[in-house]
Amino acid sequence: MKKVISSIIAIVLFVFLISCDKGIEPAPETNLSSQTGFSGKVTFIGNWPTGVARTHIFVFKSAIRTGSDFSFLNLSAVIDPIPNGSTEFKYNSVEQNYIEHEFLPDFKITHGEHAYVIVAQSKNPEISFVRADWVIVGVYNVDGDQSKPKPLLIEEGKMTTGVDITVNYNNPPPQPPM
Amino acid sequence: MKKLTILFLLLPEICSFAQNGLIRGKVITDKNESLANVNILVAGTQLGASTLRDGTFEIKTVPFGKYNLEVSMIGYAKKNVSTAVGSDSKPIIIILTEETIQGKQIIVSASKYEQKVHDLPVSTMVIESDNISGKNYLTLDNALRFVPGVQLNLEQVSIRGSSGYSKGAGARVLLAVNGIPMYSGDTGDIVWELIPITDIERVEIIKGPASSIYGSTAIGGVINIITKSSTKNPVTHFRSYLGGYDKPSYDIWKWNNGIRTFYGVELTHSNSLENLSYTFSTKKFDDLGYRQNGFSKRYLGYMKLNYDFTPQNNLTFFADFLNMNRGNFLYWKNSRNALVPKDDERDNIIKSNRLFTGLIYHHQINNAFFTELKSSYYYTKFDGYGKELTESIANLFRNELMANMILSDALVLTSGVEVSNSSISSINLFGSSKFFGVGAYSQIEYKGISKLITTLGVRWDYMKLDSLNSANAVTPKIGFNYKFGNDFILRASLGTGFRAPTPAEVFATTSIGSGVSVKSNPNLKAESSASFEIGALYNYSQNLSFDLVLYQTEYKDFIEANLVDGTTIQFINLPKARIQGIELNNSWSPIPGELKFVLGYNYMWARDLDKNIAMKYRPLNSVSAQVSFSPYPFDFGIDFRYAGRVEEIDDLFSRLVVADGDKRVPIYVTDLSAGYKFLFGGSPAKIYLNAKNIFNYNYVEFMGNIATIRNYSLSLELFF
Repeated sequence: MKKVISSIIAIVLFVFLISCDKGIEPAPETNLSSQTGFSGKVTFIGNWPTGVARTHIFVFKSAIRTGSDFSFLNLSAVIDPIPNGSTEFKYNSVEQNYIEHEFLPDFKITHGEHAYVIVAQSKNPEISFVRADWVIVGVYNVDGDQSKPKPLLIEEGKMTTGVDITVNYNNPPPQPPM
Repeated sequence: MKKLTILFLLLPEICSFAQNGLIRGKVITDKNESLANVNILVAGTQLGASTLRDGTFEIKTVPFGKYNLEVSMIGYAKKNVSTAVGSDSKPIIIILTEETIQGKQIIVSASKYEQKVHDLPVSTMVIESDNISGKNYLTLDNALRFVPGVQLNLEQVSIRGSSGYSKGAGARVLLAVNGIPMYSGDTGDIVWELIPITDIERVEIIKGPASSIYGSTAIGGVINIITKSSTKNPVTHFRSYLGGYDKPSYDIWKWNNGIRTFYGVELTHSNSLENLSYTFSTKKFDDLGYRQNGFSKRYLGYMKLNYDFTPQNNLTFFADFLNMNRGNFLYWKNSRNALVPKDDERDNIIKSNRLFTGLIYHHQINNAFFTELKSSYYYTKFDGYGKELTESIANLFRNELMANMILSDALVLTSGVEVSNSSISSINLFGSSKFFGVGAYSQIEYKGISKLITTLGVRWDYMKLDSLNSANAVTPKIGFNYKFGNDFILRASLGTGFRAPTPAEVFATTSIGSGVSVKSNPNLKAESSASFEIGALYNYSQNLSFDLVLYQTEYKDFIEANLVDGTTIQFINLPKARIQGIELNNSWSPIPGELKFVLGYNYMWARDLDKNIAMKYRPLNSVSAQVSFSPYPFDFGIDFRYAGRVEEIDDLFSRLVVADGDKRVPIYVTDLSAGYKFLFGGSPAKIYLNAKNIFNYNYVEFMGNIATIRNYSLSLELFF
């Protein structure tokens, strides 16, 4: 009987010891305001086109003047995919940095001026930098005029907020050269 | 004077006669069923009796005094009862509890007829009904979580790694009630809430592929629920429970200041009227849930009728109806809001109605030949409310005719044919489709060689899913059981399995929330498997046993849900996958009938051979341990389980769709239970206190879903 009682005590102690850990913990709070980046929301108006495989927010250093400007070298940031059928999508470039997640762990947007911020869609499930794969459906602009891109100004250690883009499927923006 | 002398001589006799009494009473089970033919001996004397058909007994001419009664019956735990015999002795009620002697356990699931567990070529496990009610498992899946080799990812059950997680679309473990499969016609999933827990006699688990006798869904194993046999006397069973969830581990997770409770009440009545026996049961369950929009309201109605035409022929009919209204918690908002769903999923609700009926006609032609006809109908309807309205209505009909023949002392043949067809009508889900399937199987058990039992079986299936090409499958199996003695048994089995894709896996086109949609895949092929297991059972004594198993399953065209791009999930075929493992089970009863230890360990190496990575949602190591201590009238139990941190999950999905979705840890869960049996108005009653997840350990079985936090419940059972 003593052996039995000892066994029970040993088991209870074992269980108690290994169960002291609480398991999953909440992630530490991210202080976005002190980070270099930008945030905002995308609003969608109208019906989504069929066959869309990818929708992303792209930030380019320079405007797209030729098809070759739509390249990785000109790229400042890509936000994680926007789910199909969304009517509104809130984002920030710190937590939803697609390039950092997918390709380059150290890829971060840098401070300075970034000329062209767009929402683009592709029917190709793979991410590509072939300009012809993408349709620009929304532009961060001046006074609601989609033909006038508004530069994005990023300051070191600051979060630029209010980078809002409206995608109006009934009134698409002008397309840059292929 | 002569008369006086005689009186004087007889005085001692007269006095002793006057000091004799009577021990009388009744022996019942802990479910208030009368027990006949129970042996009752008065310890230290030659006195004794057997109980009559109504469970009563009488032992006459027992001298006044205190006695110890030894009460015994095969299949029940032996019991010692103290009693006193005097001039005013009252009848006593003795309650016996069932006890299964390992090795003599009979199961019917392995070959569709009664076999001893120790004669089987495959691994099995049995859960007794007391283990479910005593631990207040509200649904059967919670009891299965403690079975070695069985894993649950949310509601999806997996035996030895057969499934990862696919949100209920398609199962690789066949759930059956009295041998009748209980999978829905659309998703092919298992609805645990539908199972009539109150009528469970035992749950038999076959670990490993059983397609050669059960067909498609049994590629990973079988869980067969055996319902209780009919009662000859009226028994009413009342059960109620009330519980509450504790506070979350972190203040930041608190989303509600109220007490989150769950309660249930169920009433069951069974009786017999000549050749007809019946059971009617109704149940209500209400759970506020520990998570926002994690509520659940259920109503369950269950009936079973059994009619004995003759001692050889009987008909059983059962019907099970579930109405459920529950919140549809998909994923947490993030790990800082772990008990709160995403903003746009707070109002997701699912309402469903399900009706499952079964008809079994058993015809014993002679002692060596019986046939069984099993028919079932399963109706499901559910409506999903959220950003998108979804609806699915499915009707599944199934018929099986089976024959079992004892051809000689050494040869048993079991054969059967099975036909099933289903139709689905859905909105924003699976479209409308039809399924038709035919199967035929045959199995022989041969005992002609000393100490060796050989089982050989094969099954053929034909399937046609709507407009897709039809498919055929042949699944043979061979098994051996060799006894080196009573204490050491070797078993081995080699077999194949297959699984047809469910309509949900092929045709599902729906949004599942968080901007993720499921896309149909009409090119999805049936998966197949080849598996073997070698097991050794060693009984060191009647109370100590060890069971060691090595197993391997090789899958081809394994069907698995995959995120094919940022927002689209599709069921695809993995070219090759392999699962290998070792399972060890140990059972030790140092005080038989009172104290028992059970330990199980499973090592499982599951690989996607094409990508050379671990298969998703499968832990490498898992352990379960149980201690039960039952000094009458008390019951105490500790249940512990551990599962290693799963190596692979849907990585892209976790990053793109579920914030902090990659947060996962090993699983450590400890449950405590304490019970007390007593008589309430002369009827058996039980009261149980349960504490689940006592260390409030936070873990996920699937990303973004914190498993049940610490909770307490009090349950009461009355049999009258």
